[in-house]
Amino acid sequence: MENRESRWAELFRRGNRGDGAAYRTFLTEVTPVLRRIAAARSPGLSAEIEDIVQEVLMAIHGKRHTWREGEPVLPWLYAIARYKAADAWRRRGRPSVPVEDLAEILADERSGDPSAARDLGQLLAGIDTRSAGIVRAIGIEGESAGEVGARYGMTEGAVRVAYHRAMARLRGLADGKEERE
Amino acid sequence: MKTEDLISQLAGEPVAAQGGVERRAVTGLGIGFLIALALFLPVLGPRPDFLEVVQRPIVAVKTILPLLLGPVALLLALRSARPTTPAPAGIGALWLWPAMALALFLYAFATTAPGARAVAFLGHSIPICLPAIVVLAAPILIAVFRALKDGAPTRPALCGALAGLAAAGFATALYSTFCNEDSPLFYAVWYSLGIGIVTAAGAVAGGRYLRW
Repeated sequence: MENRESRWAELFRRGNRGDGAAYRTFLTEVTPVLRRIAAARSPGLSAEIEDIVQEVLMAIHGKRHTWREGEPVLPWLYAIARYKAADAWRRRGRPSVPVEDLAEILADERSGDPSAARDLGQLLAGIDTRSAGIVRAIGIEGESAGEVGARYGMTEGAVRVAYHRAMARLRGLADGKEERE
Repeated sequence: MKTEDLISQLAGEPVAAQGGVERRAVTGLGIGFLIALALFLPVLGPRPDFLEVVQRPIVAVKTILPLLLGPVALLLALRSARPTTPAPAGIGALWLWPAMALALFLYAFATTAPGARAVAFLGHSIPICLPAIVVLAAPILIAVFRALKDGAPTRPALCGALAGLAAAGFATALYSTFCNEDSPLFYAVWYSLGIGIVTAAGAVAGGRYLRW
């Protein structure tokens, strides 16, 4: 255990200082642990475990500045993973979150349920234009990330990350909206 | 998307932001307090006899207690914004403030003539006191929140409540220089209520805006 702690702390430290290879190794090695935490924390969501793992990875990435060199990395990692896994469960566990499944909203939109279409339109208006465009293109029009990337001058991977982040923000907006109502 | 593709993407931007939440929180506090000051000075302003009356301990504590609460609660809010310490060590020290308020209230109750108690308790400025504390705390709370959003609070509502307590501490200290209600029968109750309102607002706002 101590080995893993010091090894990951060293990799993460080097990553935070700009060593991309060390950072990649760190993320790759922690992923199986995240997968276990996500699985343990998200009963009944086995199909979505990998999505949750990716959300946790992005959270680690987005919050990596909150880890201080010299602080143990495992408790930090577990805290992030538990929080995001619980958060994902909380969001997915609630059946009424409107952007839970874009396909459903799409169906609603086509079958003419005006409230769902309006909801999605409102939510998309709440994020920046490019992200909204990416969500529309991939989630509604069904375009591939490569096609969308070509249009926006982004790599395929960058489009996927942007899509994922936009979806996370939409869920956040939907949660907030739901709470207000 | 495959997880390994995501990892490749993330590994392409390894460098972590430096500087951190603490520095931004202190800057935010400064800006928020200046805004509060800019609201306070033209509308209320310190009482003319402040420097004189503040030499009486019972008057001084109504400024000193909230003024100490501010930095202590801010420190705890900053620790609470770190993922591993949502309820930071030392959070129990916050009970000191309600304990002091209660002690001051009981002292004043015992030393005030029975007929004068209700007058001192109700005072003449509750409709100014409570809104003023809330309004003065708002810019501080917003500024501190902006910094805390960079953190990773795993209990966002608690983190928000601590931020609210901090903002209320600074705002109440500022307000107390205007307020000429010098009996703890007044300020131990109504200041505490104002601080409680801001803290509750911080908890609600934290639960909503400090999620990540």
